[in-house]
Amino acid sequence: MTYSSIFLSEWYLTFRRKQDIANSILFFLVVIVLFPIGVSASPSFLASASVGIIWCAASLASMLALDGIFKEDLRDGSIDQWRMNGLMVSIIVLGKVLIRWGAFILPLLVLIPFCGVALSLPEDLMFETIVSLLVGTPTLFLLAAIGASITASLRNSAVLMTLIVMPLYLPVLIFSTGYVKASELGVSGIGQLAILAAIFLIVLLISPFFCAISLKASAE
Amino acid sequence: MNWSWFHTLGSPKKFYYLSLKWERFLLSFGALFLGSGLVWGLGFAPEDYLQGNSFRIIYIHVPAAVIAQSFYVAMGVAAFVQIVWRMKLAPIALRGFATVGALMAALALITGAIWGKPTWGTWWQWDARITSVLILLIMYLGIIAIHNTYLERQLSDRLSAVIALVGLINLPIIKYSVDWWNTLHQPATFTLTEQPKMPSEMWLPLLLSFIGLYIVALAIVFIRMQTHILEREKKTRWVRDEVNDGV
Repeated sequence: MTYSSIFLSEWYLTFRRKQDIANSILFFLVVIVLFPIGVSASPSFLASASVGIIWCAASLASMLALDGIFKEDLRDGSIDQWRMNGLMVSIIVLGKVLIRWGAFILPLLVLIPFCGVALSLPEDLMFETIVSLLVGTPTLFLLAAIGASITASLRNSAVLMTLIVMPLYLPVLIFSTGYVKASELGVSGIGQLAILAAIFLIVLLISPFFCAISLKASAE
Repeated sequence: MNWSWFHTLGSPKKFYYLSLKWERFLLSFGALFLGSGLVWGLGFAPEDYLQGNSFRIIYIHVPAAVIAQSFYVAMGVAAFVQIVWRMKLAPIALRGFATVGALMAALALITGAIWGKPTWGTWWQWDARITSVLILLIMYLGIIAIHNTYLERQLSDRLSAVIALVGLINLPIIKYSVDWWNTLHQPATFTLTEQPKMPSEMWLPLLLSFIGLYIVALAIVFIRMQTHILEREKKTRWVRDEVNDGV
């Protein structure tokens, strides 16, 4: 058992269970649809709200995409196996989360232009929206992984996970939409993008560490 | 350095008896400070030239908000101790601070809404500091939820410590990002580095009620911790003796 064999099997598993990825992407679309129907379908409202709507839907969907990522490893004893083979749980966690992120972000990016048209997102903001998603969603995934590792031993974990992870999402939400809005006003949003990247680096440091602590605690 | 006092505190039994002693002391001092601060502030402090009498709610609002924030740090320290040394008392302290901290955050939000209605003309504004206290309340409630969820006590202790510590690391980021996002609130009343801009008849009672509420809140934390200790150690002999004595 090596890191590469674990990552390879995770990679195959992720793409063999296409329905899991499809579900979180479909969930993203359903949330997008709620806003024009529930709030207002007027193009002027949608144009100003579209970035926020896309980001709200992406943060909810990212939580759903990671819910249960460690459940099977906990149930079938993989976590104990990793530890007995002298592998670091935190590195495996990081690899698993990044693979999930890759499987999630690719179809999402394909969908964004269509969602943008449906939500009357101004065309010159499309690029910034995609950049903000690329820089911001890894942070969301790493934060959601903390929630997923804490709730790994529970049968119904989605609600509790949302409750503890959502407050941690706020800075990402603020700076990513801030970055797109700055470009909308014609100001350079590079500062917000830099803060977004800084938050990513902090979370990259702490998330695998805390995931490992809570997974080990659950496995004992 | 002699660390034996630290180990004494780490034993639930020793802490139980010590905190019983402290509790009376803290409650009487806290009541004295809080009572004098409130009587002075509500009855005798001068009116605000702009807000009239409505500003007097500050004597509860500001102490509650500050305590809500500082208890989060105290809870984070308890979480750190729990994760690193797994002291028996740490999760008990974590739970005590979480409950009282959530209470203080809720108190700050409610008094803030009551204060906001006459001065800003609205119960609620998505202003930076209101929002960050709301987030603080949600984070407290999330930690309490985690602590209540798991059947195994050890697991719930360690997992709630993890999320409390993650929250503590993220709290400054959340606070500053929310500040950057929206600011309408008047700037902080007290900073450690500057002279207060209020006249002393106004800020002295605030200081008194702040110290008083802080001490009372700490005493409530101790009382809650005692209850938890009795519940957790209910199989031990000293708890049986203690409980049977009282009946």
